[in-house]
Amino acid sequence: MSVPLGYYLILGGVLFAIGLCGALTRKNAIAVLMSIEIMFNAAILNFVVFWYYLHNGALTGQMFALFAIAVAAAESAVGLALVISVYRHYKSVDVNEMRSLKG
Amino acid sequence: MTIVFLTLSAITVLGALLAVTLRNLVHCLLALVLFFMGIAGHFFLLKADFLGAVQILIYIGAVAVLILFAIMLTRNISGTEGGRGSLGGAWWLGVGIATTLAGAMCVFVRRSDLVSKLPYGATEEGVVKEIGKLLVTDWVVPLEIMAVLLTAALIGAVVIALEEEKKR
Repeated sequence: MSVPLGYYLILGGVLFAIGLCGALTRKNAIAVLMSIEIMFNAAILNFVVFWYYLHNGALTGQMFALFAIAVAAAESAVGLALVISVYRHYKSVDVNEMRSLKG
Repeated sequence: MTIVFLTLSAITVLGALLAVTLRNLVHCLLALVLFFMGIAGHFFLLKADFLGAVQILIYIGAVAVLILFAIMLTRNISGTEGGRGSLGGAWWLGVGIATTLAGAMCVFVRRSDLVSKLPYGATEEGVVKEIGKLLVTDWVVPLEIMAVLLTAALIGAVVIALEEEKKR
Protein backbone atom coordinates (compact mmCIF):
# COMPACT_ATOMS: atom_id res chain seq x y z
CA MET A 1 0.00 0.00 0.00
CA SER A 2 2.73 2.39 0.93
CA VAL A 3 5.40 3.68 -1.43
CA PRO A 4 8.87 2.06 -1.12
CA LEU A 5 11.68 4.09 0.41
CA GLY A 6 13.50 4.51 -2.89
CA TYR A 7 10.78 6.78 -4.35
CA TYR A 8 11.24 9.26 -1.54
CA LEU A 9 15.04 9.11 -1.76
CA ILE A 10 14.90 9.90 -5.49
CA LEU A 11 12.43 12.74 -4.83
CA GLY A 12 14.81 14.18 -2.20
CA GLY A 13 17.76 13.86 -4.57
CA VAL A 14 15.90 15.56 -7.43
CA LEU A 15 14.76 18.43 -5.18
CA PHE A 16 18.32 18.88 -3.87
CA ALA A 17 19.66 18.95 -7.44
CA ILE A 18 17.07 21.58 -8.45
CA GLY A 19 18.11 23.72 -5.47
CA LEU A 20 21.79 23.28 -6.30
CA CYS A 21 21.13 24.25 -9.91
CA GLY A 22 19.41 27.44 -8.73
CA ALA A 23 22.16 28.29 -6.24
CA LEU A 24 24.81 27.90 -8.96
CA THR A 25 23.06 29.74 -11.79
CA ARG A 26 21.00 32.59 -10.27
CA LYS A 27 22.43 36.10 -10.25
CA ASN A 28 20.28 37.62 -7.54
CA ALA A 29 21.50 36.94 -3.99
CA ILE A 30 17.91 36.55 -2.71
CA ALA A 31 17.21 33.96 -5.41
CA VAL A 32 20.37 32.11 -4.31
CA LEU A 33 19.04 32.12 -0.72
CA MET A 34 15.70 30.74 -1.96
CA SER A 35 17.56 27.92 -3.75
CA ILE A 36 19.43 27.18 -0.51
CA GLU A 37 16.06 26.94 1.25
CA ILE A 38 14.99 24.35 -1.36
CA MET A 39 18.12 22.30 -0.62
CA PHE A 40 17.48 22.58 3.14
CA ASN A 41 13.93 21.33 2.70
CA ALA A 42 15.06 18.40 0.56
CA ALA A 43 17.47 17.37 3.34
CA ILE A 44 14.80 17.76 6.05
CA LEU A 45 12.38 15.69 3.97
CA ASN A 46 15.01 12.95 3.90
CA PHE A 47 15.30 13.06 7.72
CA VAL A 48 11.54 12.57 8.07
CA VAL A 49 11.47 9.84 5.40
CA PHE A 50 14.22 7.84 7.11
CA TRP A 51 12.44 8.32 10.44
CA TYR A 52 9.16 7.02 8.97
CA TYR A 53 10.73 3.97 7.33
CA LEU A 54 13.38 2.94 9.87
CA HIS A 55 12.24 4.14 13.32
CA ASN A 56 11.83 1.62 16.15
CA GLY A 57 9.11 3.47 17.96
CA ALA A 58 11.52 6.32 18.78
CA LEU A 59 10.92 9.96 17.85
CA THR A 60 14.61 10.91 17.43
CA GLY A 61 14.29 11.44 13.68
CA GLN A 62 11.43 13.91 14.08
CA MET A 63 13.34 15.79 16.79
CA PHE A 64 16.37 16.03 14.53
CA ALA A 65 14.23 17.40 11.70
CA LEU A 66 12.68 19.90 14.13
CA PHE A 67 16.10 21.23 15.18
CA ALA A 68 17.23 21.30 11.55
CA ILE A 69 14.19 23.49 10.72
CA ALA A 70 15.10 25.86 13.60
CA VAL A 71 18.70 26.15 12.38
CA ALA A 72 17.46 26.79 8.82
CA ALA A 73 15.22 29.59 10.10
CA ALA A 74 18.16 31.22 11.92
CA GLU A 75 20.26 30.85 8.77
CA SER A 76 17.69 32.52 6.53
CA ALA A 77 17.26 35.46 8.96
CA VAL A 78 21.02 36.12 9.08
CA GLY A 79 21.39 35.51 5.34
CA LEU A 80 18.72 38.03 4.41
CA ALA A 81 20.22 40.59 6.83
CA LEU A 82 23.54 40.08 5.04
CA VAL A 83 21.85 40.56 1.66
CA ILE A 84 20.32 43.85 2.85
CA SER A 85 23.68 44.96 4.24
CA VAL A 86 25.40 44.10 0.95
CA TYR A 87 22.68 45.97 -0.96
CA ARG A 88 23.33 49.10 1.12
CA HIS A 89 27.03 48.84 0.35
CA TYR A 90 27.01 47.97 -3.37
CA LYS A 91 23.54 49.29 -4.32
CA SER A 92 22.95 45.90 -5.94
CA VAL A 93 22.24 42.30 -4.96
CA ASP A 94 23.97 40.81 -8.03
CA VAL A 95 26.39 38.17 -6.79
CA ASN A 96 28.69 38.90 -9.75
CA GLU A 97 29.33 42.42 -8.50
CA MET A 98 30.51 41.30 -5.06
CA ARG A 99 34.16 40.87 -5.96
CA SER A 100 36.05 43.08 -3.51
CA LEU A 101 38.07 40.08 -2.33
CA LYS A 102 38.96 38.93 -5.85
CA GLY A 103 42.74 38.87 -6.39
CA MET B 1 -1.29 6.19 -1.24
CA THR B 2 0.82 6.01 -4.39
CA ILE B 3 -1.46 8.47 -6.20
CA VAL B 4 -1.29 10.92 -3.28
CA PHE B 5 2.49 10.56 -3.22
CA LEU B 6 2.82 11.14 -6.96
CA THR B 7 0.50 14.18 -6.93
CA LEU B 8 2.32 15.76 -3.98
CA SER B 9 5.69 15.04 -5.57
CA ALA B 10 4.58 16.62 -8.85
CA ILE B 11 3.41 19.76 -6.98
CA THR B 12 6.66 19.92 -4.99
CA VAL B 13 8.97 19.46 -7.99
CA LEU B 14 6.93 21.94 -10.05
CA GLY B 15 7.15 24.53 -7.27
CA ALA B 16 10.91 24.02 -6.92
CA LEU B 17 11.47 24.24 -10.69
CA LEU B 18 9.41 27.43 -11.00
CA ALA B 19 11.15 28.98 -7.97
CA VAL B 20 14.51 28.36 -9.61
CA THR B 21 13.65 29.44 -13.17
CA LEU B 22 11.13 32.33 -13.05
CA ARG B 23 12.56 35.79 -13.72
CA ASN B 24 10.34 37.87 -11.44
CA LEU B 25 11.45 37.42 -7.83
CA VAL B 26 7.94 37.76 -6.37
CA HIS B 27 6.72 35.01 -8.69
CA CYS B 28 9.72 32.94 -7.54
CA LEU B 29 8.61 33.46 -3.95
CA LEU B 30 5.05 32.33 -4.71
CA ALA B 31 6.43 29.19 -6.39
CA LEU B 32 8.62 28.66 -3.31
CA VAL B 33 5.50 28.82 -1.10
CA LEU B 34 3.95 26.13 -3.34
CA PHE B 35 7.09 24.05 -2.80
CA PHE B 36 6.89 24.51 1.00
CA MET B 37 3.22 23.45 0.91
CA GLY B 38 4.19 20.32 -1.03
CA ILE B 39 6.85 19.45 1.56
CA ALA B 40 4.33 20.03 4.39
CA GLY B 41 1.93 17.70 2.57
CA HIS B 42 4.66 15.05 2.43
CA PHE B 43 5.18 15.45 6.18
CA PHE B 44 1.47 14.87 6.79
CA LEU B 45 1.58 11.86 4.48
CA LEU B 46 4.52 10.48 6.50
CA LYS B 47 2.46 10.85 9.70
CA ALA B 48 4.75 13.57 11.06
CA ASP B 49 1.83 15.95 11.59
CA PHE B 50 3.66 18.13 14.12
CA LEU B 51 6.49 18.70 11.65
CA GLY B 52 3.96 19.52 8.94
CA ALA B 53 2.41 22.20 11.15
CA VAL B 54 5.87 23.51 12.05
CA GLN B 55 6.78 23.60 8.35
CA ILE B 56 3.70 25.70 7.54
CA LEU B 57 4.22 28.01 10.54
CA ILE B 58 7.94 28.61 10.10
CA TYR B 59 8.47 28.39 6.35
CA ILE B 60 5.25 29.76 4.89
CA GLY B 61 4.50 32.01 7.85
CA ALA B 62 7.93 33.38 8.70
CA VAL B 63 10.61 32.64 6.11
CA ALA B 64 8.43 33.49 3.08
CA VAL B 65 7.40 36.82 4.61
CA LEU B 66 11.04 37.52 5.55
CA ILE B 67 12.12 36.87 1.95
CA LEU B 68 9.28 39.09 0.69
CA PHE B 69 10.51 41.94 2.89
CA ALA B 70 14.06 41.41 1.66
CA ILE B 71 12.82 41.55 -1.96
CA MET B 72 10.93 44.78 -1.28
CA LEU B 73 13.90 46.35 0.55
CA THR B 74 16.31 45.60 -2.29
CA ARG B 75 14.07 46.98 -5.05
CA ASN B 76 15.16 44.92 -8.09
CA ILE B 77 12.03 42.80 -8.33
CA SER B 78 12.35 42.03 -12.03
CA GLY B 79 14.60 42.89 -14.91
CA THR B 80 18.16 41.91 -15.60
CA GLU B 81 19.05 40.92 -12.03
CA GLY B 82 16.21 38.44 -11.74
CA GLY B 83 17.55 36.26 -14.52
CA ARG B 84 19.84 33.32 -14.95
CA GLY B 85 23.47 33.09 -15.95
CA SER B 86 25.81 34.01 -13.12
CA LEU B 87 28.82 31.97 -14.23
CA GLY B 88 29.77 34.47 -16.93
CA GLY B 89 27.19 33.22 -19.41
CA ALA B 90 28.09 29.61 -18.59
CA TRP B 91 24.81 28.82 -16.85
CA TRP B 92 24.85 25.41 -18.50
CA LEU B 93 27.79 24.55 -16.22
CA GLY B 94 25.57 24.88 -13.13
CA VAL B 95 22.78 22.91 -14.78
CA GLY B 96 25.30 20.25 -15.81
CA ILE B 97 26.71 19.92 -12.28
CA ALA B 98 23.20 19.64 -10.80
CA THR B 99 22.10 17.07 -13.41
CA THR B 100 25.25 15.00 -12.83
CA LEU B 101 24.60 15.06 -9.07
CA ALA B 102 20.96 14.02 -9.54
CA GLY B 103 21.98 11.21 -11.89
CA ALA B 104 24.67 9.96 -9.50
CA MET B 105 22.23 10.02 -6.58
CA CYS B 106 19.62 8.09 -8.58
CA VAL B 107 22.22 5.45 -9.53
CA PHE B 108 23.37 5.00 -5.92
CA VAL B 109 19.81 4.94 -4.58
CA ARG B 110 18.92 2.23 -7.09
CA ARG B 111 21.95 0.16 -6.06
CA SER B 112 21.16 0.41 -2.35
CA ASP B 113 19.24 -2.43 -0.68
CA LEU B 114 17.10 0.13 1.15
CA VAL B 115 15.18 0.94 -2.04
CA SER B 116 12.38 -1.57 -1.60
CA LYS B 117 12.12 -1.06 2.17
CA LEU B 118 8.58 -0.61 3.42
CA PRO B 119 7.54 1.50 6.44
CA TYR B 120 8.38 0.25 9.91
CA GLY B 121 5.40 -1.40 11.58
CA ALA B 122 2.38 0.71 12.41
CA THR B 123 3.26 4.35 13.02
CA GLU B 124 0.75 5.78 15.46
CA GLU B 125 -0.69 9.18 14.62
CA GLY B 126 -0.72 12.22 16.85
CA VAL B 127 2.56 12.02 18.71
CA VAL B 128 2.54 15.76 19.47
CA LYS B 129 2.09 15.14 23.20
CA GLU B 130 5.07 12.80 23.24
CA ILE B 131 7.22 15.30 21.32
CA GLY B 132 6.34 17.97 23.87
CA LYS B 133 7.30 15.70 26.75
CA LEU B 134 10.58 14.71 25.08
CA LEU B 135 11.48 18.35 24.42
CA VAL B 136 11.47 19.20 28.14
CA THR B 137 13.05 15.94 29.36
CA ASP B 138 15.59 14.15 27.16
CA TRP B 139 16.06 17.00 24.72
CA VAL B 140 16.08 19.94 27.08
CA VAL B 141 19.78 20.80 26.57
CA PRO B 142 19.52 20.95 22.75
CA LEU B 143 16.32 22.98 23.18
CA GLU B 144 18.07 25.57 25.35
CA ILE B 145 21.06 25.69 22.99
CA MET B 146 18.62 26.26 20.14
CA ALA B 147 17.02 29.12 22.09
CA VAL B 148 20.46 30.72 22.56
CA LEU B 149 21.23 30.20 18.85
CA LEU B 150 17.97 31.83 17.77
CA THR B 151 18.57 34.79 20.10
CA ALA B 152 22.11 35.19 18.77
CA ALA B 153 20.81 34.98 15.18
CA LEU B 154 18.15 37.62 15.91
CA ILE B 155 20.64 40.04 17.47
CA GLY B 156 23.18 39.31 14.75
CA ALA B 157 20.65 39.94 11.99
CA VAL B 158 19.66 43.30 13.51
CA VAL B 159 23.31 44.34 13.99
CA ILE B 160 24.30 43.33 10.44
CA ALA B 161 21.31 45.09 8.87
CA LEU B 162 21.86 48.29 10.87
CA GLU B 163 25.63 48.62 10.54
CA GLU B 164 25.84 50.58 7.30
CA GLU B 165 23.15 53.02 8.38
CA LYS B 166 25.30 54.32 11.24
CA LYS B 167 28.32 55.03 9.03
CA ARG B 168 26.35 57.14 6.58
